[in-house]
Amino acid sequence: MLAYVLRRLWQMLPTMAGVVLLVFVLFNWVGGDPAYLLAGKMADTAAIENIRRQLGTDQPYYVQLWIFVQQIVSFDFGNAWSTGEPVADIITSRLGPSLTVLVPLTILETLFGIALALALAFVRGSLTDRAVMLACTVGMSISILVYISVFQYLFAYRLGLFPVQGWGESLGQNLLTYALLPIIIGLAVSIAPTLRLYRSFVLDEVGQDYVRTARAKGLSERRVLWVHVLRNAAIPIITHVMANLPALLIGAFLLERFFGIPGIGREVILAVERSDFPVIKAITVYVAAATMVFNLLADLLYRAVDPRVQFK
Amino acid sequence: MSQHTDLLQVRNLRVAFRTGKTSTVEALKGVSFDLPSDATVALVGESGSGKSVASLAVMGLLPAQTTLIDPASSIRFAGRELLGLPANERRALCGKDIAMIFQEPMSSLNPVFTAGFQIGEVLRRHMGMNARAARLRTLELLAEVGIPDPATKIDAYPSQMSGGQQQRVMIAMAIACEPKLLIADEPTTALDVTIQQQIMALIARLQQARRMAVLFITHDLGLVAEIADRVIVMRHGEVREEGAAAQVFGAPRDAYTRALLHCRPRLDARPLRLPVIDDYLADSTAPAPDLAQPQRVRGTTPGEQPLLVVNHLAKRFWLRDGLFRKRAFDAVQDVSFTLGRGKTLGVVGESGSGKTTVGLTLLRLHRASGGSALFEGRDLLALSERDYQPYKRRIQIIFQNPYASLNPRFTVGQILLEPMRIHRIGASDAERIGMARQLLARVGLPEAAYGRYPHEFSGGQRQRIAIARCLTLRPEILVCDESVSALDVSVQAQVLNLLQDLQDEYGMSYIFISHDLSVVKYISDQVMVMQAGRVVELADSDTLYRDPQHPYTRSLLAAIPKVG
Amino acid sequence: MSAHLDSAGLWTLAWRRLRADRIAMAALAVVAGFLLLVLLSGAGLIAADWEREVAVNYAPPTFLGADPGSRALAQAQLPRATLPNAFDPLAAELAELKAQVAATHPPREKRTTLPFGADKWGHDIVQKTIKGGQTSIVVGLVAALLAVTLGTLFGAVSGFHGGWVDDLFNWFYSVFTAIPAILMILAVAAVLQQKGVATIVLILGLTGWTGPYRLMRAEYIKHAAREYVMAADAIGASSLRRMFGHILPNVAHVALVQLSILTVGFIKAEVILSFLGFGVPVGTVSWGSMLNEAQNELILGKWWQMAAAAGAMATLVTAFSLFADALRDALDPKIK
Repeated sequence: MLAYVLRRLWQMLPTMAGVVLLVFVLFNWVGGDPAYLLAGKMADTAAIENIRRQLGTDQPYYVQLWIFVQQIVSFDFGNAWSTGEPVADIITSRLGPSLTVLVPLTILETLFGIALALALAFVRGSLTDRAVMLACTVGMSISILVYISVFQYLFAYRLGLFPVQGWGESLGQNLLTYALLPIIIGLAVSIAPTLRLYRSFVLDEVGQDYVRTARAKGLSERRVLWVHVLRNAAIPIITHVMANLPALLIGAFLLERFFGIPGIGREVILAVERSDFPVIKAITVYVAAATMVFNLLADLLYRAVDPRVQFK
Repeated sequence: MSQHTDLLQVRNLRVAFRTGKTSTVEALKGVSFDLPSDATVALVGESGSGKSVASLAVMGLLPAQTTLIDPASSIRFAGRELLGLPANERRALCGKDIAMIFQEPMSSLNPVFTAGFQIGEVLRRHMGMNARAARLRTLELLAEVGIPDPATKIDAYPSQMSGGQQQRVMIAMAIACEPKLLIADEPTTALDVTIQQQIMALIARLQQARRMAVLFITHDLGLVAEIADRVIVMRHGEVREEGAAAQVFGAPRDAYTRALLHCRPRLDARPLRLPVIDDYLADSTAPAPDLAQPQRVRGTTPGEQPLLVVNHLAKRFWLRDGLFRKRAFDAVQDVSFTLGRGKTLGVVGESGSGKTTVGLTLLRLHRASGGSALFEGRDLLALSERDYQPYKRRIQIIFQNPYASLNPRFTVGQILLEPMRIHRIGASDAERIGMARQLLARVGLPEAAYGRYPHEFSGGQRQRIAIARCLTLRPEILVCDESVSALDVSVQAQVLNLLQDLQDEYGMSYIFISHDLSVVKYISDQVMVMQAGRVVELADSDTLYRDPQHPYTRSLLAAIPKVG
Repeated sequence: MSAHLDSAGLWTLAWRRLRADRIAMAALAVVAGFLLLVLLSGAGLIAADWEREVAVNYAPPTFLGADPGSRALAQAQLPRATLPNAFDPLAAELAELKAQVAATHPPREKRTTLPFGADKWGHDIVQKTIKGGQTSIVVGLVAALLAVTLGTLFGAVSGFHGGWVDDLFNWFYSVFTAIPAILMILAVAAVLQQKGVATIVLILGLTGWTGPYRLMRAEYIKHAAREYVMAADAIGASSLRRMFGHILPNVAHVALVQLSILTVGFIKAEVILSFLGFGVPVGTVSWGSMLNEAQNELILGKWWQMAAAAGAMATLVTAFSLFADALRDALDPKIK
C-alpha cells in the first residue's frame, strides 16, 4: 500500500508542474501586462513602471516563474490587486462559507441519489422508470439560472420563507437560515444528473451474473438490490463523489453569487470581473492540487473497498 | 418411468422472447421431459438449442418483461405446478428445493462478499440459522466439496480463488439446503480439462451421497457419458431424443443424436473426412462411418527438408511490481520445433500454457524476447518491419473468436479485398472481386455472402470467411489459434474438413493450437505439449497418444472423457 | 443463413431502430426545427432587425393585454413638433433634417403589446429569442465539434500507440482535468480581454476535449487488442489504416453521441458565461444575455423575457438530450 501511495505521489509531480506551468503561461504571458489596467486612466510612465516593479512583471520570465513557485509553496501570494487583502487570507476565510453549503448538500444529494436509484432499479423498464427519466431530462434542460431566479423570487421574495441574501456570523445561524434555500436549490438542480448517473451504475450491476445467482439462491428482490447490488454499486458512487469534491467548491459559484455567500466560487467570479490575477492564480493552483489529492484518496478508498483490486 | 417417482415433469413448455415492439423469437417450441428423483439426467444441446432457457424457466429466472410463456405449458415439481405460482413463493423454492450452478464461476459469485458470507446467506434465509450456526455448517460444506483449508478459505474473496475452487464454492452454496434438484448449467465448460474431471467427479459423488436429482446441461455429449443415467437431446428448441444413457449412447434413435455422437473426432480412428450433421440428417440409417472409411496416415516423414525451424523461442511480459520495479512473466520459454511442408503441428496445453502466445509471436503480433524462426534461411523474427512485410503473405493466422476476428463494419467483400489490395494481388479490382467470389465458393459460402455483414452469419460461417481472407494471400503456413474451439460440435467437423481439404489442395502447413486433445490428434502429424510456457513433450501424434512419456501428458490424456 | 432482403450496415440498422422510436422522432423534429430557425436567422431571413425598438418598454405579451398606461406612453414617444427657438443658430438646418428624416422614415407609433412581450428597450422578445438561439446553438455546436475532433484525434493516437505518446497526452489530460472545467473557462475568460463568439467557442472547445479524449482513448485501447485489428496487422495493414480505416468506423458512434452530449453542455455553459458577462460581447444577443436582463425584470413582475429564453432553451435541450439518448441506444442496443 505504501509503495502504491508513494508511486502515485511521485506521478502527481509532473502533473502539478504542468498545472503551475499552464497557469503561469496563461496569466503571466497571455494575460499580458496588467500595469496599464491597474494604473488607471491617464497614468504616467513612471507610475506604470512603479507598478511593474511592484508586481515583478518587469523581470524575465524564468525569474517570474521561480517567484510563482515560491509563492505556491509558501502560501503567500501577496495582496489582491483589487482589494489589497492578502490572498492567503482571502482563501482561508472564504473556505468556511463554501463548505457550510457544500457539505450538507453533498451528503443529502448522495443519499437521495442512492435511494432513488435503487428504488428505480426495482421498477426498471416500467412506465414509472421512463417517466422519472423523462422528468430528469427536462429538469436538466432548465438552466440553473432559472432555478435560482425563480426559487429566490418565489420562496424568498414573495413568500418570505427564507432570507433573500446574506450571511451571518455563527455556524448555526448560517446553517439554519442563510444556507437553507441555497442547499434546497442545489439539491433540486443536482438531483437529476446525480440520479441518472447512479441509476446507470446500479443498472450495470443489476445485469451482472452474480445477481442471477443471488436470485437463484432464493433471496428476495429487495435483499438482492439493497445488499448485493448496492455493495457493488457503492464503489463507483463513492469514488465519483470523492473525486468530484474539489470541483464542487467552484461549482457552487452561482449559488454564492446570487445569495451573497462569501465563498470561494463567488471570490473567483469577482476576481475575474476585476482581473485580479493573484487571486485567480492562487485559487486555480490550490484547487488543482486538491483535485489531485482527492483523486488519490478516491483511488485509495476504491482499493480499500473493492476486494478484486486489493488482492491482485 | 412411472409418474409418481418423477420429481420434475415438464409438459409442452413453450417460451418466446420479445425482441422488439412486435417481434418475438421462439426459444422453446413445446418441450416435454421428466426427471426422476434420484438420478443424473444430462440435457445436451448445441448453441441455440434452448437447453439453458428450459432450466431458467424451471427456476423462474427468465426476465419477466421480455419472456412470454405459453399458458398451456406446465412445469410440475414434486406434484406442484410452478408456472402460475406467485413470485415470492416461487422465489422461496429457489436455493432450497431447487438449486442451480452456472457456467462462469468468477462472475457468478459476488466479488465483494466472502465465500463464507455467500454460503451462509442461503443457510440463514432458508434454514433460519443464526450467524454462528451458519458459519459452522459452511465449514462442513466447504470440506465436503473438497476445498483445501476451509478455515482460511471461508473468509476469502472469489478473486483470491482459482476457477476450480470458485466452482466448488458455488456447488457448496447450491447443496447447502439439501435441495431435491440440482441444475448444473455447463459447470465445467470454462474450466481446464483436468479440473473439469474433478468437478464432474464431485457432482457425481454428491448426487449419490444425497440422493438428489441432477440436471446436467452441456453441449458436449461425450462429456456426460460417464455420469448420466438418462440423456435428453435438444435441438432448435425441441427435444429430439430422451432415454436411458445406455440406449442413447449405444443405439440412438434420432439422426441428430447419432450425428452428435459421430461428428467428434475419436481417439482411435482417423477417417479421411469427419462425418457432418448433414450426412445424418439426410440419411437417418447411415451407420457409424468411422471405421468403414479409409484412415488417414499421419506422421513426420524422416529426411524431409523442414519449412520452418523454430529455435528457443521466448516471450517475456513485464508486470509492474511495487514502487519502481517490474516483474518478469515468462509466457513462453525455450520453445523449439520444426514444421514440414504440408504437415500439421498440433500445440496442446491448458490455459496459461503459452500456446497462443507462441502463435502470436511467430506472426510478430507480439515481439519475441528471444529465439529465431528460420524460414527459407531467413530469421523472420529478426527482420525489420519493412523487410518482413512481404512475408506477411506467406504466414497467416485464424483466431479463436469468430465473432471478434472480422471487422463488424466491413462487408465480406471488403474483408476479402483488403489483403489483396495491400499486397497488390491481381491486376485490377475487377479481377480481385472475381477471385474473392471464387474463394467464397471454395469455402462453401453462397455468392450472395459477398455483400453481407459479418453479423448476419453464424460462428462457423464466420470462421470460413476468416479462412477465405487468409486464402486470398495463398499463405504457406497457417496458424490456427483455437480456431474451432468456439464452434459447436457439428460445425467443428465441417470446418475441420474444410481445413483438411485446403491442406490437401494447396499443400499448406498448419500450426494447430488447441486445448482439445481429440481434435488435435485427428488433425496433427506431430504434437507438441506445453505447460507453463515450456515444451513438455514433442512427438509424432500417434506415438504420443499411444505411449506418452511425460507425466503431464499422461494426466492430460487420462482426463479425456470416454464415450460408451 | 438468415434471409435478408438487403444487407444493412450499422447506420442503416440504427436508423431503422430510431424510426421505430416515436419519442426519438419527435425530439429529432424539434431539434431540426430549431436548426432550421438557426439557419434562417443566420442568413438574415428572420429576426434580422431584432434591434429595432418596436414597442413600448416592457410591453406585455398579447395574450395578457396591454398595460393601461402604455397607450399614452406610446403616444408620448412619437416625435412632437417643437416650438421654434429663435436663439438656436442651427434651427433652420435642424428643421430641414427633421423633415428629411420624417420623409424617409415615417415615425411609427410604438406597439403596446407583442406576441411574447418586449424587453426594457422595446425589442421584440420573439425575435430576440430566435437570434439569441442562433448565437447559443452555434456556439454550442461548433465548440462541441472542436472538442470532439481534438479528443478523438488525441485519443486515437494515444490509445493505439501507447508508449511515450500515450504518456505525453495523458500528462496533458491530467493537467487539464486537475483544474475544474468552470474554473478553467473562467480563468481563460479573465485572461483574454477581447470578447466575441469566436473566443467563447475556442475557450469551450479547447477546455472540453478531455471528456471525448478519455472515452475515445479507452475505445481505441479496447479495439486495438481485438482480433479483427490483429488480423488486419497480420494481413499487412499499416498503422494509419488500422487506426482510421478499421477502428474508427467501429467507434465513430461513440464520438457522435459525445458530440450531442457536449453540444447540450456547451449551450448551457455559454448561457451561464454570457449571464455572468464573460460570454458574448455587448450588442450580441444570446439566451444568456437575455437571462441576465430578465433577472432584474423579475422583481418588477415582468416575467416574459425569462420565460421565453428559459422555455426555448429547455425545449431545445430536452429534445436534444432525448435524441442523444435514443441515438446511443439505437447505435448500441443493450437488453434492458
